[in-house]
This record gives sequence, C-alpha cells and structure tokens, in this order.
Amino acid sequence: MTDLSRFEEFAEALEMIDDEEMRFEYIIDLGRQYERENPFPEAWKTDEHLMHGCMSKVWIVDDVDDSGCHHFRGHSDAIIVNGLVGMMTDAFSGLTGAELQTITVDHVRRLNLGALTTQRQVGMMAMLKHLQKLGRGNGAMAGTGDHDDRS
Amino acid sequence: MTMLDVAADVIQTPAQTSAPLDVAKVRAEFPILKETVYGRPLVYLDSAASAQKPRTVIEAVSRAYETSYSNVHRGAHRLSQLATDAFEDARETVARFVNAESADEIVFTRNATEALNLVAASYGRTFLTRGDEIVLTEMEHHANIVPWQLLRDEIGVVLRVVPIDDDGVLRLEALADLIGPRTRLVAITHCSNVLGTVTPLKEIVALAHGHGVPVVVDGSQGIVHAGVDVRDLDVDFYAFTGHKLYGPSGIGVLYGKRAWLERMPPYQGGGEMIDHVSFAETTFKAPPHRFEAGTPPIVQAIGLAAAVRYVSALGMEAIRAHEQALLAQATEALAGMGDVRIFGRAPGKAAIISFLVGSLHPYDVAAVLDRAGIAVRVGQHCAEPLMGRLGVDGTVRASFALYNDGTDVEALVEGIHKAKRMLGG
Repeated sequence: MTDLSRFEEFAEALEMIDDEEMRFEYIIDLGRQYERENPFPEAWKTDEHLMHGCMSKVWIVDDVDDSGCHHFRGHSDAIIVNGLVGMMTDAFSGLTGAELQTITVDHVRRLNLGALTTQRQVGMMAMLKHLQKLGRGNGAMAGTGDHDDRS
Repeated sequence: MTMLDVAADVIQTPAQTSAPLDVAKVRAEFPILKETVYGRPLVYLDSAASAQKPRTVIEAVSRAYETSYSNVHRGAHRLSQLATDAFEDARETVARFVNAESADEIVFTRNATEALNLVAASYGRTFLTRGDEIVLTEMEHHANIVPWQLLRDEIGVVLRVVPIDDDGVLRLEALADLIGPRTRLVAITHCSNVLGTVTPLKEIVALAHGHGVPVVVDGSQGIVHAGVDVRDLDVDFYAFTGHKLYGPSGIGVLYGKRAWLERMPPYQGGGEMIDHVSFAETTFKAPPHRFEAGTPPIVQAIGLAAAVRYVSALGMEAIRAHEQALLAQATEALAGMGDVRIFGRAPGKAAIISFLVGSLHPYDVAAVLDRAGIAVRVGQHCAEPLMGRLGVDGTVRASFALYNDGTDVEALVEGIHKAKRMLGG
C-alpha cells in the first residue's frame, strides 16, 4: 500500500493554518529550513538535474534503493520555490515508480496552495509530473513509453 | 453611436503641449484598477509587459461587436461597409498618431513581433544576401534578435552587436565603428524594456543613412512613453504593439516608408492580399494590404484607434512628464534603501526600473510583492543576452504608466521592505 504518511503530515499542517498569509510564511520557513538543515550539494546543481520550464532554477535528484523506491532531493535558488520543492520531494519520497503514478492533481490540491497564486499551483503540478517522469524513467513503469517533457 | 461617429477625432501631434495629467481622473477611467488582489488594492506596475485598458477602448471594442461587426473589404452589405470604414479609419488614426505620410504606410499585424518578422522575412530575403551585415544592440528584446537569427540561418547574413556601457547607455561610437561596407540594416530598440534606456534615434538614423543603411526600430516601449514622429526621426520601419499602448491584444503595427513597402514582396499568402489569382500566377495588392493576408484583426484595430485617441487627448508630453515624475520618485526611494541595485541609469530613460534587492532571489521578491497586491514582472524579460551582459539571471521590473501615482511608488517601497523582512534580506 502506498505510504503517503509524510504527505499527510504536510497536508494536515497546511490545513491547520487558515490564514493565507501564514501559509505563505510557512512555505518560506520550510524553504529556509531545508536550506539550513539539508543543504543541497553544489555538485548536484548540474544541467542533468535541472528541471526545465521554471521561473527559478530547480534541481531534482532521484536515488532509487534496492526495493525500487525513489528518494528525491530537490533545491531551488528561490526560497519560496525551495520550500515547495522540499515539501514535494519529501512528501513523495519512498514510493515506487508505480506508486508515484497514482499521485494525482487532487493530492496537490489538498495541500491548498492554489490560493497562494495560480502560478505556484501550476508549478506544483509541473513538479509532480517531473517526479512521475523520474519514476517512469527508472524502469518502474517500463513499457508505457510515456515520457512527458512538458513539465 | 456607430463606429463612424467615433472616428472623427483629431490626433494630437507629439509637438503639441497639453495640461498636466489629472491622475485621479485617469485612474477612474480604468475599471480594472478598482479590483483587489488577495483582498488588497491592485498596484499595477507591469505595464511594460501589457498595459491596462481605459473604458473608452473597452467600449469601442464592445460597440464594434454590438453595432457594426462584419468582415472587411469584401462584403456587399451595409455592415461590411461600416466595418471596413472603421478598420481603415483606424489605419488613418494610427498614421496621424505617428505622423506617417500616408495611411498606406501602416501595416496591421498581430503584434510588434510579427511586424519585425515581416521586415526580416520580406525585406531581408529581398535585399540581403550571404555576408551582408545587420547591426543590433545588446539590449534588444528577443523579438528583435530571433527573426534576424532565423534570417542568418537561412541566407547567411552576419549579426553585429553594439554594446552598452554600465549605465545602460548605447555606445554610439561602437555603433559607428560597426557600420561597414557590408552593413545592410540597423535593427534597434527605441526603448529598452529592461533598462528603460531611450536610444538617440535621430542620431542613429543619420549615421546609418550616411552609409546608405536603412533602420528598423522596435518601438514596443518607445511609443508608449513619448510621442513618435516617424518622419522627423526619418526611420525606415517602426514596429509597435497595441496592447502596451492601452489598446487590445492581437494588434500590432508596422510603419514602413512607402518606397520600401512598394518594393517588398508579400510576407504571407492568402485572401485579402491578392489582386488576381489563377493556378498559373497570382498578382498582389499594393501596400499595406499586400502584407495583410487573411481576415485582419478588425475589432482590435478599432480598439487600438480608440486607445490612440485616448492617449492623444491626454497628450503624450503630459504622459511623459507624469511618468518621469514617478520614475524620479521611485528611483530616489529605491536607491535610498541602500541594498537595492538598479539596472539602467541612462539619462532620459523611460519609467522602467529593473532591480535586485540585496541577495534575495527576484522571484521571491516578486512573490511577496504579489501577495501585497503589487504586480511586477520578474525574470529575464525576453532579453537573455542583456541579462548575460548585466551578469544576472534575472531582475524584478517595475514599470510605470499614465495611471500610476505616488501611492503606487510608496506601495512598492513598502512591499520591498516587507520582502526583506519576510525573506531575511
């Protein structure tokens, strides 16, 4: 069964914050926290890991363990995006490629970040698609032939 | 009221003086400025990307659809005649606005980008050959770079780039040096969309013409901030877009000297632009219709004419003076913050300020400003080579228009303070 406990933690934390401004600040704090506690190695900031189509630079690294679970690490040079990248990579790490494909737009909507701006909602969807693409790229969904580059 | 009634306005020439702008009255004419964003009053500082529309433009567009819409140039019925008259009257209005010799020198396009592509495709393929040179500048928008690169890749022309100095001033002496025996065209912006730098077009045109080289101008920003007289400037082509000039999107203008347009082949083929068609041969209409294949942006042109009448009635000099006062206020306030780095300090620049705040990412700053109801542009502003010259990945850009006032500047400054507090800059 897909373990979405980390995702649930984020969703619940965000649900508890009923003020949009506070939710915005929560993401900024998250971005700072990831930066401070889990710095992204400079050596990983390569074109290979760059997620294209973002207004700020976003790098995502995918590490697949022996049981086929994906462990993502992400970073952005913008703090707010770094918070969102950190949350998404954290929330959806530990899933297999097949499990990643079951994540839908409804999960992203549950985080209720759309109110922060439409642009960020779109960015979150692009990020999800990117994680799913990485999930497929590592053979978990071999044979689908579906490689969406539009994220 | 029909479109014909709307048509009979006198367009003020740039030289005419006018009363100072009554900004409160102006703001009341832009319905969108009453909107709130995240529960806060909208502070719109992104007019260099696209300007908001006064009620007169919105009503002209609605009225055209409600009272006299039809296709143009072909119908044998009353509505078609009305629509054709209004469309061609819009051409006359635009011609008077830029002081063209004739409305036949005004080609309607989708936007400035299409106008520049038209020159690159039609003029470029006709008059340029392998090894010929086109002179550009470091501060061009992609719309005035990529069409020439496509031409380069197609026929082998060479692009020469004039540098700017650290204040964003065009280095005229370098321009003079770059114009050589193989130079066939100077393609230059009238006003940088990033730096606000206004280029000395008269000097540049005189220099180029002294070598027999024509000049095409990207006037997307230039025409918004001050009056343009194409005959006084003596430019060969001047391209601009309607939506930055308070008109609708989907309409652009290419002014071209009649002598050039008459010698240029069509850009696209189709209906509207032909004289006779047979499978053996097709002959084309005279300019400007030769360059307007297919159904044109009819209502958009009518809307643009309404916008032109609107800014003309206010007076381009009054608009320029108003924007310059805002620019001075904003520049002083931002510079006074100590850690705000402003890109572009050219004397006489237009009311566009690109900046960075300390070490904060421009995207973060823009996001906090957005939450405060302040709309700015962030990123490379379709000017990636210029970003490289400035040594940055992107900037925040605040651009001021005729409807902005001092409280907008104060809101921007407060928003930047808030960004610094929230982001730790």
